[in-house]
Amino acid sequence: MSGGEWGIYIVLYFWLAGFGGGAFLLALSQRDRWLERVGAWLAFLGVVVGALLLVIDLGQPLRFWHLLASFRPISVMWLGSAFLFLDGIALFILLFLREWPPLLVWVAAILTLLVVGYTGVLLTATAKPFWSASPLIPWIFLASAGTTGAAVLALFGASEGVHRAAYWLAWVEGALILLHLVWTYPSAETAVRALLSGPLAWAFWGFVAFGFGLPLWLETRKKGLWLAALLVLVGGFLLRYFVVYAGQIGYVI
Amino acid sequence: MPRSSDFAILFDASYCIGCRACQVGCKQWNDLPATETQNTGSYDPLVLSAQTWLKMSYHEGLDKQGEVYWDFTRTSCMHCSEAACVEACPTGAMNYRPGGVVTVDQDWCIGCRNCVQACPYDAVHYDEEKGVVQKCTLCHDRIANGLEPACVKACPTGALRFGTYGAMRRAARERVEALKAEGYDEANVYGLKEMGGTHVIYVLLRHPSTYGLPIEPMTQRHKVAVDWLSAGIAAATLGTLGWVIARREEVSGGES
Repeated sequence: MSGGEWGIYIVLYFWLAGFGGGAFLLALSQRDRWLERVGAWLAFLGVVVGALLLVIDLGQPLRFWHLLASFRPISVMWLGSAFLFLDGIALFILLFLREWPPLLVWVAAILTLLVVGYTGVLLTATAKPFWSASPLIPWIFLASAGTTGAAVLALFGASEGVHRAAYWLAWVEGALILLHLVWTYPSAETAVRALLSGPLAWAFWGFVAFGFGLPLWLETRKKGLWLAALLVLVGGFLLRYFVVYAGQIGYVI
Repeated sequence: MPRSSDFAILFDASYCIGCRACQVGCKQWNDLPATETQNTGSYDPLVLSAQTWLKMSYHEGLDKQGEVYWDFTRTSCMHCSEAACVEACPTGAMNYRPGGVVTVDQDWCIGCRNCVQACPYDAVHYDEEKGVVQKCTLCHDRIANGLEPACVKACPTGALRFGTYGAMRRAARERVEALKAEGYDEANVYGLKEMGGTHVIYVLLRHPSTYGLPIEPMTQRHKVAVDWLSAGIAAATLGTLGWVIARREEVSGGES
């Protein structure tokens, strides 16, 4: 494989945007002003750092402004960068305001949801069978945004509600991943095998054991919740890592 | 749909002898360096890349009568009328030229590689040195000067022909009729419907899947619509689930 694949910067960006956005959206459900602000900060940092990573990843980083000089909404890449740009502005304004106008909160929430959601659509709308043979990547990324977002909020003292939401979303996420592997196996056998017993097995089984199983066990035992939250975050990274790389196994980019 | 006055290449698998002159002609005209390969039975590059815009692929097997066949096909850009690369491109650098030719503007491409991921023919590749993507140009520089594309010029058997879309389509249909009359029942034309109609048309002796070609590839706009819909349903379903659980505990948390 040449160096042109969507690699570690993209993985990091998907991860940051996912847990930052997820944290913001879940915090909004809590009506806890401190938590909401923490969530907005995390989402903002995810968007800013993520956008920087995306620019660095370009073959011609100095031409990034060509995105802003174009209007091509059919391109998921263009639409995503527009959402990212607008979400950054909305969150920036929110962080400056002492009182949050409800309309602006709604706008920021919807833009954040679109940023998290488009990352999945970006992969699904390709000709790579592991990403496109099932419509489930957006589902998996959104569920993971929920679990990793809840995990990071837990580190900032989230309530029981966030823990419960994360617990149930984790089960849904696991089921979706399993379904995706079964669904894509006929057309993306190489990729699925790479995950189960090939070069990406460390990331896949690492996710299953430490990013999924262990935190769920800790959560039911109500033990080591700090550790559980950290593990879920690491798991969210591993998940994006193996999804992004598995899709490109066997292709020269 | 392509216009009948558009440019087109006709590849006729029934005339192809697999000599790879087209592959070499492409490299020569476009100044593409040789790539280092390993001997996998031959030193031929296994896949297309930023340095290999055209390659022949070889397919062997047994037909219905138990006879061994060895078929060749051309793998390169198909110059689609509804090109996934063009629709995936966020800047418009990948775009249609007059005559239905799909090219990338190397001064406008930002190197995001979304087109590489989107192409159903795996015909667009990233040039790490230049930081932009590369692909077959249908030799529009030669066409503009009254010449045929380099691959067509190099073909010694007439398996590759160049002309207007209307003429090439007619020739393809006539050839398929002739092949059927000769007993090739499965002979068919590939590219008339795929991706809005491609400007490279294939005459094939067997079903396109035999040649590793994608069957009824979904256009990018169709994919994008379906996938946004899927993401929307996902957001509604998972959002409601997560939000309601988080919120319910919050409301009843003090009482339980």
